[in-house]
Amino acid sequence: MKTENVFQITNLNLHYGTKQALFDIAMEIPKNQVTALIGPSGCGKSTLLRSLNRMNDLIDNCHVDGLVQYENDDIYDKNYDVINLRTRVGMVFQKPNPFPMSIFDNIAYGPRCQGVKDKKTLNEIVKNALVNSALYDEVKDRLKEAATSLSGGQQQRLCIARAIAMSPEVILMDEPTSALDPIATAKIEELIQELKKDYTIVIVTHNMQQAARISDNTAFFLMGELIEYDKTDLIFSQPSKKQTEDYITGRFG
Amino acid sequence: MKHSKRRRLDFLFQGVITITSMIGLFLLIAIFAYVFKQGSGLLSWDLLTSDYYATTYDTYYSDQLGDEVFEKPSHLDESVYFSSKWGIGFSTALDNEGKSYMLIAYIDSNSPLRILPDKNNEGEVVEITENQALLKVIFTNYTIIMSSEGPENAANLFDAADGIIDMITTTSGKGIRGSIITTLYLIILTLIIALPIGVLSAIYLREFAPKKSKIVEILRRLIEMLTGVPSIIFGLLGAAVFIPFTSTFTAADGGNLISGALTLAVIVLPVIITSTDEALKVIPDDFRQASLALGATKTQTTFKVVLKSAIPGILSAVLLSVGRIIGESAALIYAIGTAIKDQIILTERSTSLAVHIWSIMAGETPNFELASAISIIILAVVLVLNLIVKFIANKLSYESRTS
Repeated sequence: MKTENVFQITNLNLHYGTKQALFDIAMEIPKNQVTALIGPSGCGKSTLLRSLNRMNDLIDNCHVDGLVQYENDDIYDKNYDVINLRTRVGMVFQKPNPFPMSIFDNIAYGPRCQGVKDKKTLNEIVKNALVNSALYDEVKDRLKEAATSLSGGQQQRLCIARAIAMSPEVILMDEPTSALDPIATAKIEELIQELKKDYTIVIVTHNMQQAARISDNTAFFLMGELIEYDKTDLIFSQPSKKQTEDYITGRFG
Repeated sequence: MKHSKRRRLDFLFQGVITITSMIGLFLLIAIFAYVFKQGSGLLSWDLLTSDYYATTYDTYYSDQLGDEVFEKPSHLDESVYFSSKWGIGFSTALDNEGKSYMLIAYIDSNSPLRILPDKNNEGEVVEITENQALLKVIFTNYTIIMSSEGPENAANLFDAADGIIDMITTTSGKGIRGSIITTLYLIILTLIIALPIGVLSAIYLREFAPKKSKIVEILRRLIEMLTGVPSIIFGLLGAAVFIPFTSTFTAADGGNLISGALTLAVIVLPVIITSTDEALKVIPDDFRQASLALGATKTQTTFKVVLKSAIPGILSAVLLSVGRIIGESAALIYAIGTAIKDQIILTERSTSLAVHIWSIMAGETPNFELASAISIIILAVVLVLNLIVKFIANKLSYESRTS
């Protein structure tokens, strides 16, 4: 079966000042699948994720070499529209980070920044985003309340809803469940399975069981290098590299 | 032996520390107590609302006096002496500077003295009202009332007379209405100038300037240092730069409200920049990242998320500034001048409350009572402002942080 790739990464090297964080990364991220990036802390998996929507731009001294293509466009090209990229490649962070506004305003924030003003349209966008992030039933009566009044798991789903409201093509998730309890984690994982139908998802996780449960492809990183990248079943059943096997069997990391 | 010496030393030090802190507390309380004791007697609505300069009316009564007899109204007590012939009552009162004078405490609505011809302006009339002071009366029978002779004497002389050659009354005066209005003008004008510049400067320093730049760090240090510069130096700047500047572009000639507001703006600018910068500093980076990741521009992120969260901090900057503006005197003496005014015009001199205090204390007979009364007003305004800003800040942070 031929799959379409949304991201094509070739020879990606990334430096923070003099320290190199990523070495010669080359990988493709297929459309409408869940791709998990795993590896021990400091292996560069989050750095790679953040280079996909150019959030690394915010870090001083960050220098990127190589090619990252999103739908065949080089996103590190001088003339590339980063704002537009970020509307199409959404992001969910490790710590739930709703804005200090109401639930409604949180979700309407992105569309409003794009210039959507019509109240009816906004209502519809917010409702759809909440329904798709499985949060609607829990918050439908309190949309005007502060987003910070929600529980941690709800806040994280709100952040997913906020990303969905932009109707992106890709959602990047940076350890989205690491700050949550097991029940909230299960809900998010369930949600990711649902979202897979409409969105391409790239998820960074340090929880190997989670990667095994929810992802279609898994990439294993070690010290800034991509060690192995394959179908998730293959990685977890018969890894071809010794380091991968050591990691997933819990010998280090 | 050695042990007990250590204990005694420890006890001694504790005592010294306690006494030292008590001295500070005692001084503060003593100052407040002095101000309130001196000033509270003069505090009145009249002080706040009346002009500084009294208006004097010079009138006479030449008509034939009717034979109507007026009744002293029952609500007037014994301190008011009533002339039943003229329907007017007098008492002794203290003016806004604490000096006693003869007050027209009551005037009957049908009194012949109600509307009198103006001696200085042919054809004009003067309305004699309650709360005017009676300075001097010369009757047609050549008896004379001087204000120092007391209300009882005055009432008797009125009853004995049939006409008035000359009667001089005056409004109370010495009020601080003009200075209150000037202070309000200064607060509004200064904030209009300094708030946008200050907040935008802080945004530049914290959000847009390169993060680890040495120059930005030096700039920030310099601005912090400016908050400690004595204001009289800014006053010189006002006199040397802003007075000529405003004189060139407006009708002003010499010190004026606009040059004063510009000088005050320079004084409060570092305060606003520093407080706003501190407020921006504590806003979590998470908000900025979340906003940018949603495809918001840097400007949208700054104004819709970051600045909104910084509002309590900006409000406290406003409070500090208003406190500075109300309390400032040295700089304003140069930048506006010390002439107390009743009619406030932007391009002319006038005094803020603090400079008003300076003015009345600078003369040959310093007026402690009035100065203390104005001090109480300044303290009260600062206190109320403090409470309002605290309340708003609490409400905002309550809305944003909890349910």
